[in-house]
Amino acid sequence: MTDKVEGVGRAAPSRMWRMRGFPGPAFLRGALSIAAAGVLWELAGRYLIKNRLFFTPLSAVFSRMAEMWSEGTLQTDILASLQTFVVGFLLGAGAAILIGVLMALSTWARDFLDPWISALYATPFIALAPLFVLWLGIGLAAHAAVVFISVFFPVLINTYSGLATTDRVLLEVAHSFNAGKRQVFLKVRFPSALPFIITGLRLGVARGLVGVVVAEIFGAKAGLGYRIVISGNSFDTAGLFVGIVLFAIAGVISVELLKLIERWLAPWRLQSAEE
Amino acid sequence: MAVKLATAGLSKTFGKGGIEIEALRDVSLSIEEGEFVSIVGASGCGKTTLLRILDGLIKASSGSVRVNGKEVVGPGPDRAFVFQQDGLMPWRTVYGNASFGMEIQGASGAAIRKRASDFLRLVGLSGFEKLFPHEISGGMRQRVNIARALAVDPDILLMDEPFAALDAQTREIMQAEMTRIWQETKKTVVLITHQIDEAVFLSDRVFVFTARPGRLKEEILVDLPRPRNLSIKRTVEFVTITDRIWRLIEEEVREGIQREQVSAAAGAA
Repeated sequence: MTDKVEGVGRAAPSRMWRMRGFPGPAFLRGALSIAAAGVLWELAGRYLIKNRLFFTPLSAVFSRMAEMWSEGTLQTDILASLQTFVVGFLLGAGAAILIGVLMALSTWARDFLDPWISALYATPFIALAPLFVLWLGIGLAAHAAVVFISVFFPVLINTYSGLATTDRVLLEVAHSFNAGKRQVFLKVRFPSALPFIITGLRLGVARGLVGVVVAEIFGAKAGLGYRIVISGNSFDTAGLFVGIVLFAIAGVISVELLKLIERWLAPWRLQSAEE
Repeated sequence: MAVKLATAGLSKTFGKGGIEIEALRDVSLSIEEGEFVSIVGASGCGKTTLLRILDGLIKASSGSVRVNGKEVVGPGPDRAFVFQQDGLMPWRTVYGNASFGMEIQGASGAAIRKRASDFLRLVGLSGFEKLFPHEISGGMRQRVNIARALAVDPDILLMDEPFAALDAQTREIMQAEMTRIWQETKKTVVLITHQIDEAVFLSDRVFVFTARPGRLKEEILVDLPRPRNLSIKRTVEFVTITDRIWRLIEEEVREGIQREQVSAAAGAA
């Protein structure tokens, strides 16, 4: 039985490698790239664009960040934006997954909702932000609503198409064992849709972060988006960059968190894509 | 011996957008308990369609299928299907895949644990329980596929070209493994295959089907001694039987080509 060994030796060690999050060469090269960009930023800020109104070196951004931290405004802003994002994202993604599941389970729900989704998918809902602020007032409700609507569609579309494109062979396997509708859903369709749902969540994170900025631009009392607007209006370019840098960091953290979740929930997909 | 599986006047016509394709016509077979039979025939002779009807995955246009004298209306625990593409769930381990059928059919946790490891041992996969399908070779995946079907303890195993996707050497090994597994489990097996030597090596009887629409052309008794090992393939008796089946299928393929040429000529005229 020679066919036993070949398949095993190849994939198993690389999997262990990735599960431990070992900083491999890919990670090191990525870190080097970020560090180089930081150096370039610093040099450009010092020697290329000297007008501090247009650009500031990275070191000035960090010292402004420290200043805002000691004033206490940075903590308030981060907390406000984080709250907006978490509430909007969780509710939006949760609702989207539920409705995606409903559409996959019931032809009636699918036919009823499908035209709306086709019509509304490409609509820039971010444009509703001022309306939400008008309806719900300046505060968490309006801001989270903007994030909600930004996250909702990408997650819904991916959940639905993941559930709708289950491998026919796998469905037939379940059918041949006489599986009921519920079992087919729980044991075949949903697990096979998980990688799609996670892709939807990843898109949702990106859209949701845009949602936070836009919502706060249209009226807020605190938050990183609000800080960007205030800094811009008061010619505090370093302060403006503080907001941008923090949003970039938030994006990286969220995407990495989702990768961890994917590795945990859908390890088969990640590996087959990398092999 | 008792008749395990019988079909009477089985026909199947597929209708797609006004074009009707007759896949099977008037197929009547009788398979005894513990028998290993194969169905061979030219491509497109409706072999797989027949097997799916036997499992209850699709319905016949007319005629009936009986298992233990009871009419088949859909898939049931008395039959298990081994798919050509292994159909393993990529998110389940080898062990999880072997348990799948039992889970669906509501077996208890203790029974699942025992039977999954028993049947993985039977197919030679002890020690590989925790690996995922993408981590093992095609031959191993088919072993899991077979273990999954056997683990629900069906009376009849329906196998749809299970070794077709494997390389030649692995296929030979799987054939030898399959006779051993059959001898140990004493299941009734219906195997669909393109490989005539595979059919002869494994079977008690081989059903040769005509080209479309599939009908039973001839039934060949394989009276080679058991247990068999791969060296039997080089004996005169084996080659004689294989040759006879070859000629039957060749006839069908030639007639099929002629028919196509005639209809093409008619179309051109």
